[in-house]
Amino acid sequence: MFEELSLHILDIAMNSLTAKARTVQIMVAEYARLDQLTIRIQDDGRGMDTATLERVLAAPVSTKRHRKKAIGLGLALLRQTAEMCGGKFRIHSTPRMGTTVTASMKLSHVDRPPLGDLNATILALCAANPAVDVQLHYLGDTEHFHFSSKELAEKKSVSRPERFWSGEETTNYEPGRTQKIEREGAAAGCLA
Amino acid sequence: MNLEELKKLKEKAQRQVALREGSKKYRVVVSMGTSGIAAGAREVMKTMLDEIEKRGLEDVEVRVTGEVGLEDVEPVVRVEEAGGEKTTYARLDAEKARKIVAEHLEKGKKVDNLAVGKEKKSE
Repeated sequence: MFEELSLHILDIAMNSLTAKARTVQIMVAEYARLDQLTIRIQDDGRGMDTATLERVLAAPVSTKRHRKKAIGLGLALLRQTAEMCGGKFRIHSTPRMGTTVTASMKLSHVDRPPLGDLNATILALCAANPAVDVQLHYLGDTEHFHFSSKELAEKKSVSRPERFWSGEETTNYEPGRTQKIEREGAAAGCLA
Repeated sequence: MNLEELKKLKEKAQRQVALREGSKKYRVVVSMGTSGIAAGAREVMKTMLDEIEKRGLEDVEVRVTGEVGLEDVEPVVRVEEAGGEKTTYARLDAEKARKIVAEHLEKGKKVDNLAVGKEKKSE
């Protein structure tokens, strides 16, 4: 069991790198007034089909064929943490399109692990594969923070992601924000 | 979560980005699968990055890999030399990680008491 949520994030995001993602977006939304903490890791890696997805959640899974025993416990551990802390775990994956893992928790839940050293997690991911754009979007009650390793390398200012939030799940986070996000999502859809 | 801490991330990451370019004499590969992370691989890696930066070692790059099949002796780090020699260090912590940077990566002396297995030459 991981003692910090940032270790969960590192673990799940490592899956994204293994899945040959070019962009890994990590969102941490910490809203005290909703008593909610949500973590989302979204990648554009190779994704999984439904059969694989079911397998991933049912039993330890490894993507390595030569491995005799599969270790893959990362998703199961995160699900356990989320459900233990009064939250939900969700995973959505499309082959060749990518995977999105969402875990929510009650912020005030007594068993909720601390976020921990999020910086160390991001640095490890940045060092893990320089070609991958590692993004962190931290949303709090009053403050936001955005980071992108690619934009850093190109020395550009960090801008808001275009298609990070998608679908109806956004309504969970912040009503005021949702509309704008959906517009952005729609705009990105039109362009694509 | 402290936003001030997060803001330091940008400067720190900038320096790490600078470490990436070009081919290096040493490549350090940290095992960062689930078991590695649970055993403290992230702290080992962070310590090594800090120490490499502190000592100004330019001929070293740090990478990460998934499970390496050594779950019982994590955290595991492999040091690969440009000549093909590979050394695997196991059961590490921050202090041991600093030692590897100081001895192996700076002076070129392997830390035998932390290494596991036979040294391998890549084909």
